[in-house]
Amino acid sequence: MSLTEDDVLQIMKLIEESSFNELHIEMGDFKLSVRKGGAAEKTANAPAASQVSKETEADSAGTEGEQIKDKTSTVSPEGLTPVTSPMLGIFYRSSAPGTPPYVDVGTLVKEDDTLCLIEVMKVFNAVKAGLRGVVEKICAESGQLVEYGQPLFYIRPDAPVKRKKKAA
Amino acid sequence: MTISRVLVANRGEIAVRIIKACQSLGVEAVAVVSEADRESLPAKIANRAVCIGPALSSESYLRIDTLITAALGTESDAIHPGYGFLAEQPELAEACRNHGLIFVGPPPEVLRRMGNKIWARQKVSEVGIPVIPGSEKVKDLPQARRVARKMKFPLIFKAAAGGGGRGMKIVRHPDELKTAFETAAAEARSAFGDETIYIERYISNARHIEVQIMGDPLGNVIHLGERDCSSQRRYQKIVEEAPAPSLPSELREKIRTVGASIAKEMNYVNAGTVEFILDQDSGQFYFLEMNTRIQVEHPVTEMISGVDLVREQIRIAAGNPLSLSQPQLQLTGHAIECRINAESPEAAFQPCPGRITRWVPPQGPGIRVDTHCYEGYVVPPYYDSLIAKLITVGSSRPEALQRMNHALTDFVVSGIETTIPFLQFLLGDPDYIRGTFNTRWVEERMKTFSRQRKGAPRSARGKRISVSETVS
Repeated sequence: MSLTEDDVLQIMKLIEESSFNELHIEMGDFKLSVRKGGAAEKTANAPAASQVSKETEADSAGTEGEQIKDKTSTVSPEGLTPVTSPMLGIFYRSSAPGTPPYVDVGTLVKEDDTLCLIEVMKVFNAVKAGLRGVVEKICAESGQLVEYGQPLFYIRPDAPVKRKKKAA
Repeated sequence: MTISRVLVANRGEIAVRIIKACQSLGVEAVAVVSEADRESLPAKIANRAVCIGPALSSESYLRIDTLITAALGTESDAIHPGYGFLAEQPELAEACRNHGLIFVGPPPEVLRRMGNKIWARQKVSEVGIPVIPGSEKVKDLPQARRVARKMKFPLIFKAAAGGGGRGMKIVRHPDELKTAFETAAAEARSAFGDETIYIERYISNARHIEVQIMGDPLGNVIHLGERDCSSQRRYQKIVEEAPAPSLPSELREKIRTVGASIAKEMNYVNAGTVEFILDQDSGQFYFLEMNTRIQVEHPVTEMISGVDLVREQIRIAAGNPLSLSQPQLQLTGHAIECRINAESPEAAFQPCPGRITRWVPPQGPGIRVDTHCYEGYVVPPYYDSLIAKLITVGSSRPEALQRMNHALTDFVVSGIETTIPFLQFLLGDPDYIRGTFNTRWVEERMKTFSRQRKGAPRSARGKRISVSETVS
């Protein structure tokens, strides 16, 4: 059995629309590997490392690399980059009740964009995106207690832009 | 006032102890953990665990705002501070009050008063209880010299805001004044942010005896007997027992009564400890300070009184009266506690964090182990090195001691070094067996210990010393 060109295009379209990053098909001698965004794996991880929140890095620096516990217990699904809570506190999606949320699913964010607020005893702390990308998932609700290190958002890094430039 | 959920603002063995006490009362326990403690036993056994920050305690366990937010966010009614960390900070108790939470401990006013050692000494001496001859606040070297001139050497310099042995210096001769003052003040500044010190006469043949007290919101105060905590290394207790050995019964009774009366005088509520120094040469005892928290060594009192002190703390915090009166208190038998630390006794007691590859705690009649450790647990490098408290009880002191010796021999810990060999050495000492020792004996025996360990062939060093024969 083999696939027609149309079949392959159909598969690529499906994966493009899905939340999966990679697809591998093996049927006898026939092998097909489809990866979204080419170097997606790399681009997803590189900003993640610089971003997963500064305190993460400060923390591991403080422990001299001796990681008691696997820091990346929140493995980002399908190449998405998590934005984790820098502190324990109450999560708010907007600056005040009744005002529109800072971001929604699908919002394109830049590094310095505020995604949410975390309140610790009447002190509000803004959580910045830390990377360019599209908000794919919001994991907490306004008024909810979030823990230190808990993933709040998943962002799909805005990598293809660079790639296109290169290609051009 | 009812308590149905308690946030446990601590870690390690005391967090486990508090969670168990809550659950025994049908109360839920919320564990707060730092990043490094996510996999710890408290996190596993609590009804809920929340991560409050990175490993560094100043960014997790010491953050009052975070703890209050966590308590409110988890709909807890109360915060139990354990010992250490924020246990004696009036600020936490006050923040609890301001946010409608119950602080399991005395009210902030009491914490504030008793936290000031100079104030406490003065107050106690005003009601006719002897305090060690000493000074008021000393701010500079000339003043220290003036004060010292009027006193009898040896002296001890102590941080006014102090505790835990930090900021303490013994001065045996006037020539040592300058160095002692400078180092004590520097230590006090770095440890407590307050360089004020005070000077006391140093009692060289002393016993450290403390009285467990408990007060309720109705103004009832009882004592639960005394403990002997004279076995210390660098002012850190390592072996404690209850009752205190070889005390004349009249003196024992007096110390207990005075302890309770001080607490009553202070309108004390919840669990506390009144510490005394007993001068063995004169038979005089002096008030030292009052600790406004549950103490590490509370189990020895529990073992001879049958009272669950942590449960009692929670009951009292919920507004209940004491569950027993002074005449109802029955103290029977004798209990000993050994603090087992992840430290290498052969390498100057250097902390030894790391993974515990084997963990077999002793068991049997009269043996209790309070711990947060288990096989595979990694002792993190960020916190204190206490990994377990081994407590034995017997109908008599020799019986409790014999059980302790066997229990120490049976305790298997691999992967990290522990103080077990040193504890075995100490408990085999004739002075310890007789119950005649003072606050200096541990430091003196340490020299012998290191000599013996150095001289011993490698094979003998690895082997456990069994000292049970000497007491049986």
